[in-house]
Amino acid sequence: MKVQPLREKWKGTMTDRERFNNQMHYRSVDRCFNMEFGYWDENFREWKMFKDNGIKSNWQADVFFNFDRIETIGGNTWLNPGFTTTVLEETETTRTVRNGDGLIAVEEKNSSSIPHYIKSSVVTPDDWKKVKEEMLNIDDPDRIIDVEYLKENHPEDRDYPLCVSCGSMIGKIRDMLTFEGLAYACYDYPDMVEDMVETCCRLVEHFLDQVLPHFDFDLASGWEDICFKNGPIVSVDFFKNVVTPRYKRIRNKLDRYGIDLWYTDCDGDVRPILPYLMEGGINCLFPFEVNGCAHPAELLNEYGKELRIMGGVDKMALGSGRGAIDAYLKTLVPLVERGGYIPFCDHRCPPNVPEEDYLYYLDLKEKMFGMK
Amino acid sequence: MGIFEEISGALQQGRAPKVKELVQQALDDANSPKAILENGLLSGMAVIGEKFKNNEVFVPEVLIAARAMKAGVEVLQPHMTDADAVNKGKVVIGTVKGDLHDIGKNLVKLMMEGRGLTVIDLGVDVSADKFVDEAIANEVDIICCSALLTTTMNEMKAVVDLAKQKGVREKIKIMVGGAPITDTFCSNIGADCYRVDAASAADAALELCAG
Repeated sequence: MKVQPLREKWKGTMTDRERFNNQMHYRSVDRCFNMEFGYWDENFREWKMFKDNGIKSNWQADVFFNFDRIETIGGNTWLNPGFTTTVLEETETTRTVRNGDGLIAVEEKNSSSIPHYIKSSVVTPDDWKKVKEEMLNIDDPDRIIDVEYLKENHPEDRDYPLCVSCGSMIGKIRDMLTFEGLAYACYDYPDMVEDMVETCCRLVEHFLDQVLPHFDFDLASGWEDICFKNGPIVSVDFFKNVVTPRYKRIRNKLDRYGIDLWYTDCDGDVRPILPYLMEGGINCLFPFEVNGCAHPAELLNEYGKELRIMGGVDKMALGSGRGAIDAYLKTLVPLVERGGYIPFCDHRCPPNVPEEDYLYYLDLKEKMFGMK
Repeated sequence: MGIFEEISGALQQGRAPKVKELVQQALDDANSPKAILENGLLSGMAVIGEKFKNNEVFVPEVLIAARAMKAGVEVLQPHMTDADAVNKGKVVIGTVKGDLHDIGKNLVKLMMEGRGLTVIDLGVDVSADKFVDEAIANEVDIICCSALLTTTMNEMKAVVDLAKQKGVREKIKIMVGGAPITDTFCSNIGADCYRVDAASAADAALELCAG
């Protein structure tokens, strides 16, 4: 179904690509890059504007709100094939499944939130050996990228920023082992966990080697989700000694192709591991949760222009009425003026934000950071 | 170094087999189970809790220390009498209705047990009825509610209201916690206590139980 935009695209005199690159490199821009991270599944069911217009996904919502365009190319850098997803038990509201990562988890049927993980299929080095042999073969033909197809879809003269995904060095391992399982494994089987990280790194390198020579990427991305409200869920020493060296290998590849901007998607309080993320070459945080970490100004002031942030609009403020939205966005003005910062809701926008207030937020953002 | 310091040190390093060995050694040397528990195991967990509050250690270190404590307690358990029990207070804990997230709740539970509190874990997706009924049935000092989601945090108010309705609000303190919770939210719903991290929550629970 073709999506009919609800709003006009923000006026501008630059292409989305020029604007994004200028803004993230502290150069002058016509206006702020306009993007959002997305919405919970509940928003698609509950917000009238989504229901009335058949908007059911985040990519449709991006078109609906006429945001600036940004695209990502990713590879097959994890389990292939994954575990067969099986429903083990079902109630009226929940479903117990073995998911593609081999985890037994209870999911809520009507929520897109994180499932309740009960048990992992990978605990010991023997379990890992089997998974590595059967599901993480680097020579798997499914890991070959159809470069020509992607080039047709993302031509050299494109007017939007193109991002290359650098996958995950530890987040997917956390997904496979569970939060507690990873903590115990780092202590009980450190060599196994290091081998897992090395395997992730090799798979990402294999993907990057296929695409980097063929595209003029504007940025790189990654995903870890390895922190929560009280800091990292792996030990800082482990992160520094095992994960950071792999980031450096990826950073070397990106450098060879002139890609200087690299963000990682990590929720929660990243501060204890931020020096090691940056040592590894990651220089941008996304979507930067305010309540779980800090106001973005705190980190941008501390790290200066070496660090960029995408996100950082407090979802709690969006759900607290228009006065709170006004007050919060005002705190972001110096950051947008400074550059290296793009404001959007600090995770998927939750359904407790009234849709009228969300539209108010988008209008206000345009008034403050657009050319309205 | 005395045996209690050795137990505490091994626990802080998460060395569960060593903790078991040292606890057995301490028993063999005729130390009382209560002294081993308080001066070795709980003392080690208190150090970990303090370091956690100060951002000197993070969740993984807490988890492996708690696992080591559990290993030590298992060795002690058959030797404990009623007189050895450390009874600093009783808590029911759970994640509120509609919310399946339990990492924070489990951490608070570990920290509270590490401070000598008895914790009854009601699990996840716990209704206000269940919180209050279990609290009454088990004669607890504190109901401790956890929520991760902005969409479920208001269930905490239902727990406070129900405790009032059932006439136990004066007797039972209510603690709230989780990523979206703040002091203001805690006051607004009429709960008694919010703390920013698991170790501080355990300290606060001890104080509340002590009256």
